Amino acid sequence: MALVHDGDKRAFTVVFDRHVGPAFSLAYRMCGTRARAEDVVQEAFLSLWRTGARYDRARGSVRSWILSTVHHRAVDAIRREVAKEGYDVADEGLAERLPSDERTDSEFERRDDADRVRQAVGELPHDQRRVIELAYFGGFTHTQIAQILELPAGTVKGRMRLGLTKLRLGLSADGFVP
Amino acid sequence: MSDGKVMSQTHDCGGDAAAYVLGALEPAEADAFRQHLDQCAVCRDEVDALTGTVQALPMAAPQLAPPKQLRQKVLRATGTEPKRARRRIAWPVPRMALATLGAALLVAAVVVTGVELSSSGSSGRVIQAHVTGVSGSAELRVSGGRGELIVRNLTPPPAGKVYEVWLAAPGAKPAPASVLFGVNSRGGADVGIPATLTGISQVMVTPEPRGGSVSPTHAPVIVASLT
Repeated sequence: MALVHDGDKRAFTVVFDRHVGPAFSLAYRMCGTRARAEDVVQEAFLSLWRTGARYDRARGSVRSWILSTVHHRAVDAIRREVAKEGYDVADEGLAERLPSDERTDSEFERRDDADRVRQAVGELPHDQRRVIELAYFGGFTHTQIAQILELPAGTVKGRMRLGLTKLRLGLSADGFVP
Repeated sequence: MSDGKVMSQTHDCGGDAAAYVLGALEPAEADAFRQHLDQCAVCRDEVDALTGTVQALPMAAPQLAPPKQLRQKVLRATGTEPKRARRRIAWPVPRMALATLGAALLVAAVVVTGVELSSSGSSGRVIQAHVTGVSGSAELRVSGGRGELIVRNLTPPPAGKVYEVWLAAPGAKPAPASVLFGVNSRGGADVGIPATLTGISQVMVTPEPRGGSVSPTHAPVIVASLT
C-alpha cells in the first residue's frame, strides 16, 4: 500500500487484481445490479488510488480496508437511491430483501473462508441473521429495519448484538476472527 | 444510550456497539456513540471485538467473478492501464497490403463466429427467448455450457425491483442464478450467467424486489428454452 500511495502503478494493479473479486461480490450483493456494482467498485478503487495514504495497517488488512470502502460507497449509493425514489416500508417486497444463502455460485471457485463465513451466518437464528443482513447488505439503519419488520428499535439492536456475538464465537472457534 | 461513565459502570450501553459496527445507527446516534466511546472502555472493547466479525461479513456474499471490462475501466481512469507493446514489422510490407490482410482476417473471424453461433451444435448457439407481459426482445447465447442473456428494448423493471435470472432443470423448481440486472436507457443489457447451463432446460427472468428473492415471486417475463 505504501507503493500505491507513492503512485506506483504496478502496485495498484496488483492490489486491484488481488481484491477486485471480493469487492465486486460485495457490491453486487448490496446493489443488486451489475452496473451499480461496477460503479461502486470503480469509485472505491479510484478513492484508494487517490487516498491510499489513509490506509492504517494497525486497523486491519488491506482487504478489510478496501471492502470497508466498497461497503460505505454501496451504502451511500443505496441511500441516495432510496432518498431519490423513496420506498414504502409497507411494501412487503422490502421485507423479502433477504439473504442469498440459497443461491448458487458453485460456478466459481469457492474459497474456504467464504464458505466458512457463509456457513456461520447461515447457522444464526433467522431473526438475528435477518437484521444483520438488512443492516450490512441492505444499508438500512436500525430505525428503518424496525419499521420494515414492525419491531421495537430496541429489539432490532438486541438481535444485532446477539447475532454478531454468536457469529464472532462461531468464527473465532475456527481462528477466523480474533 | 445515556451518559458514558455511568454506563461503563453498569456495563450496559444499550447494545449500540453492534448497530454501530454494522453502520446501522442513525447519523446523529453514530456521532453521539463515537463521543461515548471516548469515555466507555466497555463499549470500546465491544466495538473492537465485533469489528473483526463485521469485516468478515463481505465473504458471506456469493463470490462472483468481476466483469472483465471493470479492470480496464478502473485502470484507464487511474492512468495505470498498461500500454500494449507495439510490434515492429521487420520486413517491408506495404501498409495497404497489411490493411487488406487484416480486413480479410476480420471477415473470416466474423464468418466463423457467425457459423458457430448460429449452429445448433454444442459449441455455441443462439436461442430466441419468449418475452411475455413486457415489451422488448431477448436471446440467450450459449457456448461451452455457459450462457449470456442479451436483452434489447426491454421494459425496465418496476420501481424498487430488479430482474432476476432463474435456472430450471427438468421437473425441478427454478433456482436463482445469482444474477440480478436492470436495463440501460435503451432497454438493453448483456447479462452473463455465471452458472453452467448443463442439465438446465429453461432460463427465466422475473421482476423481483431489489436484492433478489430465493424463489420467484412473479411470473416469468422472459423464458428461454434450451431443450
